[in-house]
Amino acid sequence: MTIVSDVNQLISTIKGIEAQLSLMALSTTVPEASKTFHDTMLVLGEIKTDLQNRITHIEIKNPQHKS
Amino acid sequence: MNEWTHIIISSVLFVVTLFAITKIGGKKQLSELSFFKYVSGITIGSIAGEVIMGMEGNLLHGVLAIVIFGSFTYLHDLIGIKSKKFRDLFEGKATVIIKDGKVMEENLKKEKYTIDELNSLLRQKNVFKTADVEFAVLEPKGDLSVLLKKEYLPLTPNDLNMPVTPEKETNTVIMDGNVLNDQLSLAGKNKAWLDIELAKVGVTLDNVFIGQVDSYGRLYIDTYDDNVKIPSPQPGKLLLAMLKKCQADLEIFALETETSEAQDLYNKNARKLEEAIQKVKPYLKE
Repeated sequence: MTIVSDVNQLISTIKGIEAQLSLMALSTTVPEASKTFHDTMLVLGEIKTDLQNRITHIEIKNPQHKS
Repeated sequence: MNEWTHIIISSVLFVVTLFAITKIGGKKQLSELSFFKYVSGITIGSIAGEVIMGMEGNLLHGVLAIVIFGSFTYLHDLIGIKSKKFRDLFEGKATVIIKDGKVMEENLKKEKYTIDELNSLLRQKNVFKTADVEFAVLEPKGDLSVLLKKEYLPLTPNDLNMPVTPEKETNTVIMDGNVLNDQLSLAGKNKAWLDIELAKVGVTLDNVFIGQVDSYGRLYIDTYDDNVKIPSPQPGKLLLAMLKKCQADLEIFALETETSEAQDLYNKNARKLEEAIQKVKPYLKE
């Protein structure tokens, strides 16, 4: 059983990366680069959602993990 | 009018005239010395020199001659744009000297070039064996353009199917401590952004000799004070490391978890992130 706090930490890191990518996408004048950064952000968003669902699932099943 | 004033007046007059003629002639007049421009350039120069030094009394005669020569080259340019025959007659044609790695002896003879001269021209292009050359053309201006065989050409990313990141022009936004506002807006930035970026590296505007923004919005500066260490902007590398760490974390979770359902979820996301990293990697590896 993965510890919930580990997954939460990963989610935070992903959020940080998303913010940085969004900054880079805004500051570039190359359209292809901007698009690639956005695509990466979308993938990260999907992964984040999956992880959040996983946490909810764990918390429902094992209330002792609730932080 | 004594000699002194004559020389002063005529010098000024001819500087203006010559400047006007060259300006009208455009960049071509300065760069490509074709036969025609070579002749007219020499003549115009001689006329100006003679009139200024007073060998030829009448100033206006000189100006007239220069204007005539200038308009000749101008007309020659205009007609040249329209007619290929005219161009071939006046500018000359390029001659193929080497084709498929074989020297075309007749063409070499026709242009009155010896083998030594050909070798010398090739050497100036860093070619020491005629066998390495796929195609070589003698230009009308007398220099040789050489295409090496494919196996001797430098390796390009295209040859290796390597993904490259597109790069647009870099804008110089600071010169001598002054902000160039039009360049700044071309780079899609403003003064406020510049102030923040300079504050980040702890440099005042007066201390910046050159400041350039590349197409990824990174500021590169060179300061007057060469002892100042300026960190080079590299947000990409750190980001790439973080992405790789996330991917590794997902793989570790997949190994640690006991339920197969969770394992599948982590593995799927680890793969997804791996693909995303491969795509974005070229942009972060600067």
